[in-house]
Amino acid sequence: MQDTRYTLTCEIVEHGETLTLAQLCRSCGVHAEWITLLVEHGVLEPVSPNERQWRFAAAHLPRVHTARRLAQDLELNASGIALALELMDEIRTLRGRLAAQEARDEQR
Amino acid sequence: MEYKDYYKILGVDRDADDATIKRAYRKLARKYHPDVSNEDDAAEKFREANEAYEVLKDPEKRAAYDQLGRGGSARQDSAGGFQPPPGWDSNFEFRGGGYTGADAGDFSDFFESLFGRGGFRAAGGRGPGASAGGSMRGQDQTARIALDLEDAFQGGQKMISLRVPETDEHGRVVNRERTVRVNIPKGVRAGQQLRLTGQGMPGLGGGEAGDLYLEIEFRPHPLFRLDDRNLMLELPVAPWEAALGATVKTPTPAGPVDLKIPARSNSGRRLRLKGRGMPGKTPGDLIATLKIVLPEHLDDETRALYERLARESDFNPRKKLGV
Repeated sequence: MQDTRYTLTCEIVEHGETLTLAQLCRSCGVHAEWITLLVEHGVLEPVSPNERQWRFAAAHLPRVHTARRLAQDLELNASGIALALELMDEIRTLRGRLAAQEARDEQR
Repeated sequence: MEYKDYYKILGVDRDADDATIKRAYRKLARKYHPDVSNEDDAAEKFREANEAYEVLKDPEKRAAYDQLGRGGSARQDSAGGFQPPPGWDSNFEFRGGGYTGADAGDFSDFFESLFGRGGFRAAGGRGPGASAGGSMRGQDQTARIALDLEDAFQGGQKMISLRVPETDEHGRVVNRERTVRVNIPKGVRAGQQLRLTGQGMPGLGGGEAGDLYLEIEFRPHPLFRLDDRNLMLELPVAPWEAALGATVKTPTPAGPVDLKIPARSNSGRRLRLKGRGMPGKTPGDLIATLKIVLPEHLDDETRALYERLARESDFNPRKKLGV
């Protein structure tokens, strides 16, 4: 589908920007209990530690979306999600380094 | 319409038991999950595996599907494709509850012609512990996009292709290729996100649409490597430039600039060009790391000069090694 008649403006999600627990739940279509579970397993770290006023870095939003898809599609539990996300981060870093190295080698 | 061999898709025998089918499905789901896999057609393979499992895990659907494939009761349509025989499903009753974890809205025409569209859930209603009912804001969506370094350095318009789930006219969720023109803000960094307000999933019952978040990553650049706001460059210099000092041309994304190399610069020395990195409130620096390189071929004259240097110099670079 082409949707290029007009240009979409976007804003950078700033470093300090946060979401409330309710906003995060709405964004991902999940219950608060599930977010609590992610926090307990260290997948997600609230900016403020007081559970009643939890706020989350807006930059973590894609991580929660990925976590939701992993839970739904692969039936992973919270520790499985935590492990998968850590390994995926590591693979992304290594692939980035490999690609940069290959780009440098090609130059030579 | 094309006949789908669900057993072949999952890689199991036609008489495979439920446990074998489940195991095969889970293996494929892990392998081709679009968040995990790096393969180009991962999303399509993941969708196929889901469709196959949706049928084969359900005893009713599986029995109906098996009957269809047996004894040539299936026939070809005029285009040479597949047509289910009339009344093929008369002995089966498919209930809405048959659809479970998978996103049934995404299945093939073949699936739809056999099992219909019952039980599809509306956008925004899935996920662990999803809530439902009343007017609801649409879910946000996230996607990862790869930019060239120059896109972020200069900012400006960029066409971006995304695969996003959308709700079609029947209220089903389908994956669509969507190309949008986006204004990339100058100085955006890897790992940062861009928010496009109202470009996520549509809302339900008059609720507003969610937002679309684009996570930025950069394609590798042949010259520069990004380190947060700083641009790292390996700058080749001749031995005599390194020894005597020189002013040399250095590439930057904004065009070449002059860089002064101090005398007696070793390989690996880092020189900082302040403010020549990625633009922003606090612009980054360009950090050039010197690398001493020799000419590929030494002509007679150069060789003679090096020979004289070798004869007359008493420099021992290995003094610290005690040799």
